[in-house]
Amino acid sequence: MGVKRVSRRDVLNVVETIFFIDFLKGLSVTLRNMLRKPITTEYPAEKLTPPKRFRGAHGHFVWDGSEPDSLKAIERYMSYEKGKSRCVACYMCQTACPMPTLFRIEAVQMPDGSKKVVRFDMNLLNCMFCGLCVDACPVGCLTMTDLYELAGYSRRDAVLRVERLEKQGIDFKSRRGDEPDRIWSDDAHREKLWGKIEWSG
Amino acid sequence: MGEFFVSLLVTLVKIGVVLGVALGLGAYLTWVERKVAGHIQARLGPTVVGPFGLLQPLADGLKLMTKESIIPRGADVPVYYLAIMMAVAPSILLFSVIPFGPEFTVFGYPVKPIIADVNIAILIVFAMGSLAVYGTVFSGWASNSKYAFIGSLRKAAVIIAYEVVLGFAVLGVILLAGTMSTTGIVEAQIERGVWFVFYQPVAFILYLFCMLAESGRVPFDIQEAEAELVTGYNVEYGGMKFGALPMAEWYLNVMALSAIAVVLFLGGWSGPRILGPLSPYFWFLAKTFGLVFFVMWLHWTLPRFQAKDVTEIAWRIMLPLALLNVVVTATVVYFFGGS
Repeated sequence: MGVKRVSRRDVLNVVETIFFIDFLKGLSVTLRNMLRKPITTEYPAEKLTPPKRFRGAHGHFVWDGSEPDSLKAIERYMSYEKGKSRCVACYMCQTACPMPTLFRIEAVQMPDGSKKVVRFDMNLLNCMFCGLCVDACPVGCLTMTDLYELAGYSRRDAVLRVERLEKQGIDFKSRRGDEPDRIWSDDAHREKLWGKIEWSG
Repeated sequence: MGEFFVSLLVTLVKIGVVLGVALGLGAYLTWVERKVAGHIQARLGPTVVGPFGLLQPLADGLKLMTKESIIPRGADVPVYYLAIMMAVAPSILLFSVIPFGPEFTVFGYPVKPIIADVNIAILIVFAMGSLAVYGTVFSGWASNSKYAFIGSLRKAAVIIAYEVVLGFAVLGVILLAGTMSTTGIVEAQIERGVWFVFYQPVAFILYLFCMLAESGRVPFDIQEAEAELVTGYNVEYGGMKFGALPMAEWYLNVMALSAIAVVLFLGGWSGPRILGPLSPYFWFLAKTFGLVFFVMWLHWTLPRFQAKDVTEIAWRIMLPLALLNVVVTATVVYFFGGS
């Protein structure tokens, strides 16, 4: 395979070289950019809302009566409380997780034979936010919220215990629960960029 | 005797005004540059300190002044400090031969808004421009650092390239005006009613090239070259010492050389009298800062030439052009009387 050499003479002819046409083209691009509106988001002062499918910090959806009927069938095998996590400690999330030490889940058997989840910790320092655990969850409990400000003052702050997961799940549902499930922050913007996308089946 | 003291007082006042305005504007050009750069890249530039970030230069100055002063081990300390003076002083001295407007009278005394109206002003500009290079070369040599040294060597290569071209480019204007005094050159343009840029377009473009090379601006900023040399010759300076070098080269020098370009090619203070007695100053400042803006605009548009390319372009393309321009101008002036 030969190498094609492009000399300056092939790019610009003599007249273009004398009148600095390439310079002028570049200058016009930068001038047009300068007159354009800046695209900056001044972050701490204004924050973007991520799309609903954004993979931020995790949350647990709670047992609040909004779950499908199929889940109601397992209610009698679990010692659930209203407004608490609907986790069944099936370890599916831990199995799906590429990181073996991320989850720490424990469950006990109650005297009446039902199952109670006593521990559900996630160490987000190990997490790469791939979302495989959310896909694996069979009871629609584990989710990922739109929270992305996850900095903390100690390593302990990065561990999500079940109380915080429940709180984030409730918060996420109350804020974004009614939105359609999509990866764009708003449809108008998406349609402007890529046109209308419809079912092609 | 009274005459002498009055002229001394007037000169001191002029020095004070020009020094204050030049240094203040030099500091505020950092803000302008950051705004221009930001908006060219679809960013905002400084916005936090003060309205529109207008107090940013003060905050920067405060920060630079409170920095710890570190001198690298093995540095040549007297030369290390001398380099800053050698960079700043010639840049400020360039302002001494810039005429800001026509002569006017205050309390019966005629006052020229120029510090030193000497008849070799253009020679002073060349001399100071060449002296300013010593600041760069000394700082690179004295700070005992490879990057700084490479930067100053590159600056030495650049000065070999542009200095000769600069002299020949300006020679055409001097031939047309018949004087080396900056005031005289502006008056020659006002008399003819034509700016010299229309007689000497080639010389103007060559002057712009040399101006960019002398002030270390893109595309000839090879002595700074952030990507390769971590800002080159001033890398070992800290605090306000670090602030002084780019301020002298990037802001004071660009401002002074733009003003001289306005004097030489763009008719100085000439322009329609739209603001009454202040209009000459307005036109002079407007033209100067238009040129400064053009330099910044160019800075954030073009990539950087290689060091060898700068010398090659200067000696193989620009110098023959400049010589041709001088010969043609001299012939025309000889046979047609220069008007």
